[in-house]
Amino acid sequence: MPPPDGSGAERPVPFRGGGFAPHARPLLGAATLVVLVALWQAGAMAGLIPRLFLPAPAAVAAALYNLALSGQLWLQMSASLARLAGGWSLGTLAGLLVGLAAGLFTLARSPSLSVVAALFPIPKIALVPLFIIWFGIGEGSKIATIALGVFFPTVIATVGAVDGVPRNLIRMGQSFGLSRAAIVAKIVLPGALPGILTGFRVTAAIAIILLVAAEMIGAERGIGAFVLAAGNLYDTPALLAGIVVLSVLGLLVSWLIGRLERWLLAWR
Amino acid sequence: MDTNNKTPPLLAGRGWGEGASAPDPTRRAILALPLAALAATHARAAEPIRLGLLHTLSPAPFYIAQERGYFAAEGVDVTFRFFQAAQPIAAAAVAGDIDVGVTALTGGFFNLAETGALKVIGGALHEERGYEGSAILVSNAAFAAGVTAPAKLAGRSFAITQYGSSFHYMVGRIAQAEGFDPASVHLRVVQTVPNMVAAVQSGQVDATIAIASMARPLAASGQGHIVGWVGDIVPYQITAVFTTPAMIDKRADALRRFARAYARGVADYRAAFLRLDAAGKPIVDATTDAAIPLLTKYVFTGDPAARAKILGGVGYYDAGGALDAKDVAAQLDWFRKQGLVKGDLPASAIIDTGFLPVR
Amino acid sequence: MPRGLRLEARGIRHAYRDLTVLDGIDLAAEPGQVLVLIGPSGCGKSTLLSILGGMLRPSAGVVLQSGEVAAGCLNPLTYVFQDFALLPWRTVAGNVALALEGAGLPRAARASRVQEMLALTGLSAFAGAWPRQLSGGMRQRVGIARALAVRPACLLMDEPLSALDAQTRDVLADEFAALIARAGTTTVYVTHNLREAVRLGHRIAVLSRRPGRVREIVAIDRPLSGRNMADPDLLRIEAALWALMRDDAAAAAREVSDASA
Ligand SMILES: Nc1ncnc2c1ncn2[C@@H]1O[C@H](COP(=O)(O)OP(=O)(O)OP(=O)(O)O)[C@@H](O)[C@H]1O
Ligand SMILES: [Mg+2]
Repeated sequence: MPPPDGSGAERPVPFRGGGFAPHARPLLGAATLVVLVALWQAGAMAGLIPRLFLPAPAAVAAALYNLALSGQLWLQMSASLARLAGGWSLGTLAGLLVGLAAGLFTLARSPSLSVVAALFPIPKIALVPLFIIWFGIGEGSKIATIALGVFFPTVIATVGAVDGVPRNLIRMGQSFGLSRAAIVAKIVLPGALPGILTGFRVTAAIAIILLVAAEMIGAERGIGAFVLAAGNLYDTPALLAGIVVLSVLGLLVSWLIGRLERWLLAWR
Repeated sequence: MDTNNKTPPLLAGRGWGEGASAPDPTRRAILALPLAALAATHARAAEPIRLGLLHTLSPAPFYIAQERGYFAAEGVDVTFRFFQAAQPIAAAAVAGDIDVGVTALTGGFFNLAETGALKVIGGALHEERGYEGSAILVSNAAFAAGVTAPAKLAGRSFAITQYGSSFHYMVGRIAQAEGFDPASVHLRVVQTVPNMVAAVQSGQVDATIAIASMARPLAASGQGHIVGWVGDIVPYQITAVFTTPAMIDKRADALRRFARAYARGVADYRAAFLRLDAAGKPIVDATTDAAIPLLTKYVFTGDPAARAKILGGVGYYDAGGALDAKDVAAQLDWFRKQGLVKGDLPASAIIDTGFLPVR
Repeated sequence: MPRGLRLEARGIRHAYRDLTVLDGIDLAAEPGQVLVLIGPSGCGKSTLLSILGGMLRPSAGVVLQSGEVAAGCLNPLTYVFQDFALLPWRTVAGNVALALEGAGLPRAARASRVQEMLALTGLSAFAGAWPRQLSGGMRQRVGIARALAVRPACLLMDEPLSALDAQTRDVLADEFAALIARAGTTTVYVTHNLREAVRLGHRIAVLSRRPGRVREIVAIDRPLSGRNMADPDLLRIEAALWALMRDDAAAAAREVSDASA
């Protein structure tokens, strides 16, 4: 393109390489949240947001405070955490075993993958009544609901992670005369670990989501049961307080997995 | 997809259905149409009123008023909006989706009313001595272990739909009336009415409360025991007619005409189903048989056993659609004491007695 | 006769489905010597190397091993890979130790073997480094250390230097020559690089283009240590090899461009 004046004079090359590189600004993220909450509070105080539609942040905070003060928060949390830990561990363990088998053995692959494809899309909430018949109204059905919800994504993540282990590393292991077990332990598992840990992020979130479904039936305590009861009573500050607790739980779990990744995947 | 035919013990009867009953959504609203002709004979254009209600037998007087043209005669054009569960009916009124509703008086209802968004204007279903409405249903195992009377429920597990539900309230009041500590009862929250019954059936809980039409077949087939009737222990207003303050402010006349038509429906209903003979048995005669076809347009449609199900399921309504205002205040008080209702409006502020009589 | 393993391919034929890659290969790697395989791209060198090490079953023919395997050899036929094949989640020392772990070696013996190998390849300072922190040349040194750690009877190396730059390649080729000469390990060495072939080979087998056959075997009777790449004899051999390969190389390149057209 000729220069506008057609003179061919010396001129700077225009810079074209900017953009497409968003930076993380954690402070900006936090500030956004603070401003939103402040606006919401101001709107509520000015009477622009009716209490019935959306309780003010201060009301939610007060509900949370009362919950903590009365010891309720800890009672509800401990019940939920036990279920989450039990259900998630069970589902993860089973999912890892099946996923590894499907990733390693021809005989296990197609059968387990077809079962997973058929059962994964079923909403686990729909199975809750069935679980109650199978495992009773107590902890069994709650843990089963979470475990089943965690199981399928774990299988899928594990199979994908095992498939993603570079074949040349496995051939290397074979060429050095490593036993099958040693290849699985020293090459397949560590190679699949990043994919499996990414799966953990997803399954931990699913476990928290399913907590509410799991605690629908027969739970005397638990954050999920608390949220359901508050919703049923149209006690919206308590409802939102419960949701804040769930969301903080999610953040906490995500942070823990981040730590785990940094520790286990230091080599990346 | 007529689920009413296939699962008689769960859906039959007058369930006020906090939880899932499963009406046919395709039938919504269109049933009011044939009466438009009648309404047209009035000089005034008919006032439209959207009524929120459960698709069960429990709002039977409204079906009668609609089918016999009482609403049209009053110059109101009532459209039925059917709901799956009781709680959303109140929420729909707050959201402006319906003008009037019939629903259970629950903790959730009172919490909404306490914000000033709802007003109770009339009575509907009432637990009443001598009318077998809600049964106390006990599992076989618990019965064998000695839970043979309501007073023996102390320390037992009890299935309810949710905290703050009518069932929760009934358990609390039964405990009061029978003189045991309500806190000793282990409440099991199971969300839906079918779950409550199934929990007793399978022995996962010791007891629950079930409407007659569900409890009787279960007891008859040996899957549980009826040890008492709620109406005999704690007569109270289960469901009520409510509206929004805006309706009362702006369309009081339409509401008044709606209420008059409703009261005529209640009168017909009482004549058809609530007369008792000297032995305390319901009288079934030509009046009854004339009313049944009006109801089968809405419930048990095409079910050969419809008649029996209706006769076994009808519940008590006070004359004139009267509201048991004292009891509503007592309920509000109870829910508040349990910490389930947060607001501090007095009962008088959520009741408007200007439209229907008070019991 | 030098000590060590003799590896002989007899009548090897190999086809991937309809594609015949190798056709009647008879070739031996003599004990303690380096056999270099050269040939145009796609002629089946890697295939042959996989067959020689028992990693691929040939369509026809056998590979026979004979001769002495030293006591203490943990994996007679050991590969060095073009892409290094290091485990990224193990440190340099961990990668070298990999094949020693199941061998019943006492812990201390294992550690000292690893130390020894790292010293041999000049990696002692990087024992605790992750592979991602190493340059390409250092990574292949780890590959060599890992291979030598098992005291192999035969080294099978598939273009071990082709992923590296020219200078690193020359330096490492010299190092390989020294290591192989010192250990006296039978070696099969695949390369495209004629200079490398002349630097490292006792015998150089030139394969024809696909289906691969042995066209010619060129012997170089100079000891590996002390080969000078400016030596006119070696330069003459390099030129002769190039003359042998040029037509095939050009034809192979044409084949590729036709196929992609
Ligand atoms: N697993 C396989 N399946 C099918 N065909 C293959 C497979 N591996 C190699 N081939 C084909 O066989 C032929 C020989 O491959 P090979 O890798 O042995 O050649 P090469 O001589 O090592 O080539 P290069 O010098 O490019 O590394 C090629 O045409 C290749 O496309
Ligand atoms: Mg190759």
